[in-house]
Amino acid sequence: MSELFKYDDEREAASAAKVRALEALLIEKGVLGSDSVDTVLGHFETVAGPFNGARIVARAWVDPAFKQLLIEDTPKAIATMALPQGMDGAEGEHMAAVANGDGVHNLIICTLCSCYPWPVLGLPPYWYKDPVFRARGVREPRAVLREFGVPVTADTEVKVWDSSAQIRWFVVPERPAGTDGMSEEALAALITPEAMMGVALVPSPSATLPPSTSLAAG
Amino acid sequence: MFTRFEEYAASSMLGQPDSPPRQQGKFLFDKPWERDVFGLALSLSKAGYFEWEAFRQNLIESIAEWEDGYCAGQPRWDYYERFFLALKKTLVEAGVLSAAEIAAIDAAVVTVRA
Repeated sequence: MSELFKYDDEREAASAAKVRALEALLIEKGVLGSDSVDTVLGHFETVAGPFNGARIVARAWVDPAFKQLLIEDTPKAIATMALPQGMDGAEGEHMAAVANGDGVHNLIICTLCSCYPWPVLGLPPYWYKDPVFRARGVREPRAVLREFGVPVTADTEVKVWDSSAQIRWFVVPERPAGTDGMSEEALAALITPEAMMGVALVPSPSATLPPSTSLAAG
Repeated sequence: MFTRFEEYAASSMLGQPDSPPRQQGKFLFDKPWERDVFGLALSLSKAGYFEWEAFRQNLIESIAEWEDGYCAGQPRWDYYERFFLALKKTLVEAGVLSAAEIAAIDAAVVTVRA
């Protein structure tokens, strides 16, 4: 096994060096500005992504009036927050939030294609476009949720929201126990895109297990 | 519709054979060079040096070549290695760099390591 890893290390080093050489040549030839890579990726890293959704949900957890406005008029509520300029652009113009609560759990899907509120959730996971997920999400959402590890009982009302070109839904998950007195920033750090899709709960920070990422990784 | 090139480019790959690794709403880059090569492709296409779709077709082909290989002797799967191969091919096809320039980059790195 050690030989295998040694080989991989060398391969990694060679790839990294070649990419650096390519970038240097492109800059030298005037093809590329030296900050172009950071500029284009900055869109996903700082402008539109799950960090926005997490801040919105954290605000809703600490401010009931904001939460009410968020459910009634999502764009208006989002506009009151100092989120990155441009985050409300494409794919985000018709976002609508639905809140989980006592005995109510929401799940977002898109049966048509892959409509998704990018500005607040970032890039959709690979299975979001999967025809099986889309079909089962409608037909047997409880079974799908249980497979994701969301404990829905026969008493839980499960609402499935089908995103479309007109409306892209996201979920305000329930605030977990053990978070009293936490700052909005600390709360936002707990909130995952999966929780805002309804396929996960936000774990209590005192929970010993880390948040589940295995199903959505990749 | 996506009005941002970055979102159009990323969206066109999702659910397709060239779908990039992602985790919790973000691109998953294991190493800095993976982020660099992805950003290079995006910014070059955004600047108009080649069509994103042309690059994608090369990436899909590059992935298919790996998939079609025999297991024995096959290098470990590496999405961004396939990505880098496709980018180099696209740059030559688009006339941004010559085949000799690409070969020099690969050769120089091999020489430095030797």
